[in-house]
Amino acid sequence: MRTAIAQYYPAESALHSRDPRAKFVAVAAVAVALFTRDSFVALAVYGAAALVALAVSRVPLAWYWRGLKPVLWLIALTFVAQLFFVPGRALVALGPLKVSGRGLELASYLSLRLIVLVLVGSLVTLTTSPISLTDAIAWLGRPLRRVRVPTEEIALMMTIALRFIPTLLVETETIMRAQRARGAAFDRGGPLRRARALIPLLVPLFVLSFRRADELALAMEARCYRPGIVRTRMHPLHAGMGDWLLLAIAAAVIVLASLL
Amino acid sequence: MKGASERAGAASGVAIACQGVSFAYLEGDRGVKALNEVTFSLSAGATVALLGPTGSGKSTLLQAMRGLLEPNEGEVRLDGLSRGEPGFAERQREVGIVFQTPEMQLFAMSAFEDVSFGPRQLGWPTDDVRAAAEEAMEQVGLPVAVFGARHPYSLSGGEQRRLALAGVLAMRPRVLLLDEPFVSLDPVARRELAAVLRALVAGGIGLIVATHDVDHAWALCEERLVLDGGRLVASGPWRFGDGGEADLVQHRLAVPFPVRLWERLGRPLTGAPRSAEQAAEALVAPAARKGSG
Repeated sequence: MRTAIAQYYPAESALHSRDPRAKFVAVAAVAVALFTRDSFVALAVYGAAALVALAVSRVPLAWYWRGLKPVLWLIALTFVAQLFFVPGRALVALGPLKVSGRGLELASYLSLRLIVLVLVGSLVTLTTSPISLTDAIAWLGRPLRRVRVPTEEIALMMTIALRFIPTLLVETETIMRAQRARGAAFDRGGPLRRARALIPLLVPLFVLSFRRADELALAMEARCYRPGIVRTRMHPLHAGMGDWLLLAIAAAVIVLASLL
Repeated sequence: MKGASERAGAASGVAIACQGVSFAYLEGDRGVKALNEVTFSLSAGATVALLGPTGSGKSTLLQAMRGLLEPNEGEVRLDGLSRGEPGFAERQREVGIVFQTPEMQLFAMSAFEDVSFGPRQLGWPTDDVRAAAEEAMEQVGLPVAVFGARHPYSLSGGEQRRLALAGVLAMRPRVLLLDEPFVSLDPVARRELAAVLRALVAGGIGLIVATHDVDHAWALCEERLVLDGGRLVASGPWRFGDGGEADLVQHRLAVPFPVRLWERLGRPLTGAPRSAEQAAEALVAPAARKGSG
């Protein structure tokens, strides 16, 4: 449960030390490009590039697999849907269901593309701490401030939310154990009974969260936090040669894929 | 069907024994050891202080004793019974546990509702639930007639703490495990809670109090277990004057104030008073007698 949310894998690699903005832009560009050209060759180029990046990231493959697992059913669904419902000359027939050559082709293509997409996305989340990722998003969203989108505040909210997820999980577990000792059963009965059984968990959790939010807001004000101000950063983002190189490589991969 | 009064008479403690209990919390991919081969046995009805500095494993041990955390190694025996043996589940239910800041777990719309949650979950008949909740609220000094309809969050901090205790007492435990029961209470609330606990002990209930406040522990308990870094470093009755102080001082704990006072006064530590009030009485009473005589 914990790993699904905190997906960052701390390590030292050429990818970990890149500027989060560069990683975000490179991956976003590849993700978009992935959907602009329907060819197996292009997909192979992106897949190969992703595999090289995987090796460079020094993150155990099991962690990528963990990211892939939740979307496997979606991939399977896509595969089956395409396999049976794309019209064309039938290769194999299973009763009323026909598999056409075009269907098989599309099914494998779309599934593979989803897999590559998830891997590419995991490359960013696994090698970038959530805090520096929100920093990057805040920086990249800066133009939106002109149309009065509070990007700094949104980034801060994301940071605070991420910061408190582990705390909330620990508290949830503690409250569950305490209520269980008072005879609460969270995993028995039908859906209605289960929903009712959550009340002794949810009420304390909400009270606790609101109280903490209140205290945090006061503490931040006491330390002179005011919304609507662009603050300087404790760890300013620095784009160096390596980051430009990363962007250049991403661009090269995209160009290569669209030419082949 | 057992009558409510019959259950009330059963408050005579449960003998709890830990045999080589180890427990590790999972943090990411690795385990962080919180308990390391903890072994001890307590007799039924014992009053025990579970002492140790912050992070020594006190809360983990309490929750393992109640079966809320499953030890990685070793076992917890209740009245000599192992988990799975007939009668064990019943014993486990008779071990009441009050978590740290238990008022955080109040959730019902009225004090009475909250206290009756436990017995209702046990499936007791409505009359028994009512009787148990009323009695529990009486025991903690929050009579139903006055507090029953109040919203839990409208009570004061000390009252909320005692209400949460009533929620556990309503299940008629024979032994109470308390995790830092006095933390963040004002002096009056602490005194009131201590009085409630002393009355429960007088009624025959077993008490295990996890705390790093040795003054409270000394006032309430006859024995102490000292944990440090997940290891049990001392057990048995309190020992002072024979080097037993080291069991506390070496593990970031203090010697109780009345004991230190008696030591400074050069009095025999075996008869050291249990509280500052008792100490004052012992010191003032003879002087007063001398003065009048």
